[in-house]
Amino acid sequence: MEEWLYIQTEVYPALAKGFWVSLQLIIPSATLGLFIGIMVGVLRVYGSRPVMAAANTYVVLFRGIPLVVQLFIWYFGLPYIKIYLSPFVAAVLGFALCSGAYHSEYIRGALLSIKRGQMLAAQSLGFNKVQMIFSIILPQAIRRALPGCGNEIIYLIKYSSLAYMITCIELTGQGKILASNSFKYTEIFLIIGACYLAMTSVASLVLGLVEDRLRLPGFEHQRI
Amino acid sequence: METPILRIENVSKRYGKKDVLKGASLDVNKGDLKILIGPSGAGKSTLLQCINFLVRPDEGRIWLEGQEVHYAHKRDLYAYRQKVGMIFQDFNLFDHLSALENVKIGMIKVRGMAKADAQERAVMELERVGLKEHMQKYPAQLSGGQKQRVSIARALAMDPRVMLLDEPTSALDPELIGEVHSVIRDLGAGGMTMIMATHQIGFASSLASEIVFMEDGQILEKGTPDKIFNQAECARTREFCSKITELYGETR
Repeated sequence: MEEWLYIQTEVYPALAKGFWVSLQLIIPSATLGLFIGIMVGVLRVYGSRPVMAAANTYVVLFRGIPLVVQLFIWYFGLPYIKIYLSPFVAAVLGFALCSGAYHSEYIRGALLSIKRGQMLAAQSLGFNKVQMIFSIILPQAIRRALPGCGNEIIYLIKYSSLAYMITCIELTGQGKILASNSFKYTEIFLIIGACYLAMTSVASLVLGLVEDRLRLPGFEHQRI
Repeated sequence: METPILRIENVSKRYGKKDVLKGASLDVNKGDLKILIGPSGAGKSTLLQCINFLVRPDEGRIWLEGQEVHYAHKRDLYAYRQKVGMIFQDFNLFDHLSALENVKIGMIKVRGMAKADAQERAVMELERVGLKEHMQKYPAQLSGGQKQRVSIARALAMDPRVMLLDEPTSALDPELIGEVHSVIRDLGAGGMTMIMATHQIGFASSLASEIVFMEDGQILEKGTPDKIFNQAECARTREFCSKITELYGETR
């Protein structure tokens, strides 16, 4: 009974608050990350040589440095050059840039898989490069990249738990505070695990719906 | 003498050390149907692709309607390509768009037409190639012959002055060739200027205003179908024509 009271009065309000902060972190990071990924992916395939090199360097850095280190740089490092970010902004920035680097790789692969004939046809009609990329190549490439990008979004939901390391107290952060007060680590982290599982399940459901929605004849999954 | 609508002068292309096109020149008058024949690797495709600069020629100059094409100038190049329709051997329809959208997209994005006008014109062009009832289908749902006819409608919607056809029926099975040929025949009858590479000798000889025989990156001989098929000057032309006639049936 006492346990129940503890859950009702302490665990539930704290975790609900944390859950809400997590959602506020995840949704803009995922959206911004996907946008960055698409743009960087396009530049890595169709950009001029220096632009391509810059985009590749971005990916090497942001995919190669541990995310925690990146977050520390944004939050604790930037103040050295007089840039002060709130924990929330630093976390969203860190997540979006890291996620964008991964997305760009899925997008790049998909762009390269589009047949050359599609480009020749667009060029022969008088399309310029930008029109060709955005109205012919990308709409096809995004359909092919979707499963990979979905995977990255699921990852993002889980690594959003790193935000508490830079004092943005989201779900995991709240859990950590509760657990260290009550020493009920197992119970609390089991509940937190279930919350993340719920979020990732809803996300994969939504991603599945988006895939269905964008499915066109000729782009369906090949069943053998 | 009339000014040719399309004038190609001394176009050359090299890939590494291999000369795939060695100075081809061709004058095309309004309403002409020039047929390029020759063995694979003769440079027919390369010549067609050089004409609208899908392949950048190393040398050579091209004039359309008396105006030289400055292809290094992007805006001029894009404007020129709108006036030169291209039909590919493997259709190259945009896979993510329905037949109707395939025809519309160039008009909307490139010519900046209003959506309603583009819609009306696209339906008209698809009707012309006999595909009005299939216009909502995606490329994956169309047969090869239907895809090629959509691609012809797509090119026609841009109001081309000249059409380039690169073996338009080579990827089709024999039963579907006829429907594409009849569309091309109608175009010719309507006065469209065309340059077509093909192995369909019977069709070519019945329609062509001139046959151009190419081999090894060069134009070896050109003339009326009757001259090329029956009394070619060049021994190599005679040899090729007799072989291809054997394969693809009697010349008509």
